[in-house]
Amino acid sequence: MNMDQVLQTFIVESRELLQDMEASLLRIESETEQSESINAIFRAAHTIKGSAGLFGLDDIVAFTHVLESVLDKVRNNELEIVSDLVALFLLCGDHMALLIDHVESRADALDVDKLQAGASLLEKLSIYLAAQPVAAPQSAMAAAHEPRVETTGGGLVDNDNWHISLRFGRDVLRNGMDPLSFFRYLGTLGEIIGITTLVDAIPTAEDMDAESCYLGYEINFKSEADKVVIEGVFEFVRDDCVLHILPPHSRMGDFVQMLSDLPEEDLLLGEMLVRCGTLTRHELAQVLAIQAQDSVSHDDTTGEPQKPLGEIAVAQRMVQPEVVEAALEKQKQVKDSKAKQQQLVRVDAEKLDQLINLIGELVIAGAGVNILARRNGQTALLEAVSTLSRMVEEVRDSALSMRMVQIGETFNRFQRVVRDVSKELGKDIVLSISGAETELDKTVVEKIGDPLTHLVRNSMDHGIENAELRTERGKPAQGTVRLNAYHESGSIVIEVSDDGGGLNAERILAKAIEKGVVAPTQSLTEQEIFKLIFEAGFSTADKVSNISGRGVGMDVVRRNIEALRGTIEITSQYTVGTTMRIRLPLTLAIIDGFLVAVGKSSFVIPLDMVVECVEMSDQDRQALQERNYVNLRNEVLPFIRLRNLFEVEGEAPRRENIVVVQYAGQKAGLVVDGLLGEFQTVIKPLGSLFQHLQGIGGSTILGSGEVALILDVPSLVQKVVQAEMVPTV
Amino acid sequence: MKTATACRFDIDGEMTIYTAADTKARLMPLLAQCPVLEIDLSKVSEMDSAGLQLLILAKRECAQRNGDLRLTGHSPAVLEILDLCNMMPYFGDPVVISSQAH
Amino acid sequence: MAKTVMVVDDSASMRQAVSISLKGAGYDVIEGSDGKDALSKLKGQKVHLIISDVNMPNMDGITFVTEVKKLPAYKFTPVIMLTTEAGEAKKAAGQAAGAKAWVVKPFKPEQMLNAVSKLILP
Repeated sequence: MNMDQVLQTFIVESRELLQDMEASLLRIESETEQSESINAIFRAAHTIKGSAGLFGLDDIVAFTHVLESVLDKVRNNELEIVSDLVALFLLCGDHMALLIDHVESRADALDVDKLQAGASLLEKLSIYLAAQPVAAPQSAMAAAHEPRVETTGGGLVDNDNWHISLRFGRDVLRNGMDPLSFFRYLGTLGEIIGITTLVDAIPTAEDMDAESCYLGYEINFKSEADKVVIEGVFEFVRDDCVLHILPPHSRMGDFVQMLSDLPEEDLLLGEMLVRCGTLTRHELAQVLAIQAQDSVSHDDTTGEPQKPLGEIAVAQRMVQPEVVEAALEKQKQVKDSKAKQQQLVRVDAEKLDQLINLIGELVIAGAGVNILARRNGQTALLEAVSTLSRMVEEVRDSALSMRMVQIGETFNRFQRVVRDVSKELGKDIVLSISGAETELDKTVVEKIGDPLTHLVRNSMDHGIENAELRTERGKPAQGTVRLNAYHESGSIVIEVSDDGGGLNAERILAKAIEKGVVAPTQSLTEQEIFKLIFEAGFSTADKVSNISGRGVGMDVVRRNIEALRGTIEITSQYTVGTTMRIRLPLTLAIIDGFLVAVGKSSFVIPLDMVVECVEMSDQDRQALQERNYVNLRNEVLPFIRLRNLFEVEGEAPRRENIVVVQYAGQKAGLVVDGLLGEFQTVIKPLGSLFQHLQGIGGSTILGSGEVALILDVPSLVQKVVQAEMVPTV
Repeated sequence: MKTATACRFDIDGEMTIYTAADTKARLMPLLAQCPVLEIDLSKVSEMDSAGLQLLILAKRECAQRNGDLRLTGHSPAVLEILDLCNMMPYFGDPVVISSQAH
Repeated sequence: MAKTVMVVDDSASMRQAVSISLKGAGYDVIEGSDGKDALSKLKGQKVHLIISDVNMPNMDGITFVTEVKKLPAYKFTPVIMLTTEAGEAKKAAGQAAGAKAWVVKPFKPEQMLNAVSKLILP
């Protein structure tokens, strides 16, 4: 691991935090208890700032610092979360994301317009900071640390070195601070010329607490370091010790001051100063003389003795118990909610893909063993193989479930889209989300974002009417866009619906005829008319807006979804609303298949689309000559012969079977020669050469090593249903 | 100063804040009984200010009873501390600096 | 024997960066991703110094320090807490828990190294 790799960690981490921040910002206005969200927002800024500092990313630190200051005001209830502030924070989040991108790109300087954007955001933020006086007075303690009394009188001492005088508080050892470690560190900044240990504060053996510190030190220290640095050595014991640092060639008066500040008897202390080489004997005599004069006048002016710093510190600590309790209580609230999401292990997606691939091979190998075992017919072997198959199945399921993610995160991103777009359009629209916990394959999730964005924007722009029209139609002024997801027979269904104006079938048809998409004489079902909006270059919007309505997009949406082996359908009622229903396979990798034979070829039908298998009656076979549907328990079932469709050679056997499949509420029959049973299948994508094959969705390898083609049931069903309808029209 | 046979006290391992209370408890009865105490420091693996304070205490207690505290076999950890804060003269024990020390 | 420092922070980048610079200076480092994780990694082994963030999920820094100080092996282990300028209330709570050394975020790796060196040299 090197710093470069850590920088990558930082980039990934920051993006996640920014995402959390955005989610919290979008949630916060609707929350009654906001503290958790506020904390999440603050934490994002805080953590990014902290890590950015480590990498010397000063522009990120500078920007985030201001943001953090404003957020801190929010956290302390000094600022109320209002819509404007949320909007500003969102923009700040965007800007931070830009800065992070910039770090990743390793470019030298930020674009001028990005710099300006950052500056203008900072300006807006600083308004909130200026609104209240910045209350950051140095604590009284800090002032007490530096009793820099300018003493007059006395010459300069001859010593070239610093003098450090230390009296440690009783608790320093218990706090893990060892005075000796500070001296070791001091040794790295210069040279300790002389050091004397003051031991007189140690009480009698009975009274001495072995864990308390009773030591004091006078140190003559030679160093080029400045006072701030030397003081810094003792920063962690500042509140727990009495520290005096006198620079080289200090005035006699400064020593006088020091002697009077320290508890030891002046003569004894003076002796120590001489012993460690800070003062010469002559200088000590001078200091003591000045001391004697001063003490007379001092006692006259101030009656009470100076309060030792230690006492102040103790007094300050008296307030702590309540503070601690309150702080802990607050921490607990945040902790509980965060606990769940943190129990995650981050795994490289590639590793997971590799595992799934291996399991795919395992499934195929398992199928091979299964076939051999069946041929062999040994009961014990069959039993062992069936246990093995079950295990493989479980392993497969749990491996696949690792790739499954909840769609909620994707849905939540639309809070921002809806918020932004509704502002842009000047419409009051809310997003309602349901089914957020519905899981689907990660690769599908990644690809569904764009089409969904388009559909949501489309609903907001074209679907939801303006407020006047809504009131006229007796609807609430606020429009609603709804995202919903659920599982249905091996697919995931994602719905984008709105309570807007609905699709006007007449107008769509008129437009389609005008554009020459359909012939005026053609008669179409409502469903077919609706689907026209997915044709390239088709838009019914009267006015082209920035959001949508330029006729690009809806056809792209359809293509994107089809690329995922999915379909889209529309239900709509004029003036009431529209629902776009996307149906996608749960996973792109492995399916439970149903193996069928046609001639010498094998085909796989996704098992969850198979409804039933029926043997074809002679009656049906005869009827087949005249019509392409059969009567299945008094239901009209359109069907298709795979033998004909795929031009399989050879004569049909005497007995044929119909596999009844269902997709999106439509049933169809597939006529095949033989039924070979259930079969776990790893989907291997077809090479690009075969991509345009109708009715085939992929291929797989059988246990025997033979290739079987996987049927694309959705497109077959569509084909069958259409074929059946054409002659009736 | 009495030349009577000294009580011996071994300190094995740490002489730090973690062991200080315990070490002091073991040291107290000896301080009360033995005017002359000899502490073997050869097995001290680690020392800090708390350990140093105990030695100082022992030295003073012995002196107050007209006895003496002798430190022997200073381990490197002890030497480093006594050297760091210039306490060698305070104890005034002869110190054998082995070539392996440090 | 190298001195051992435990670094506890929920930010992986912060933890790793601190850890790298400490290791470079000759310290041994144990990392913890939050208070709970850190506690589970303390198994009585000698730890000379603990560096902990305050605001962490699962178990925050102040609770962590309170818990650590209850363990005899770490009763007197020095703790450096990482904080913001704005964390005065937190600071008071942390002091009560036994964390006396505070380093303000953001800091440069060498600043952290200096702070650590004041308490223990490698």
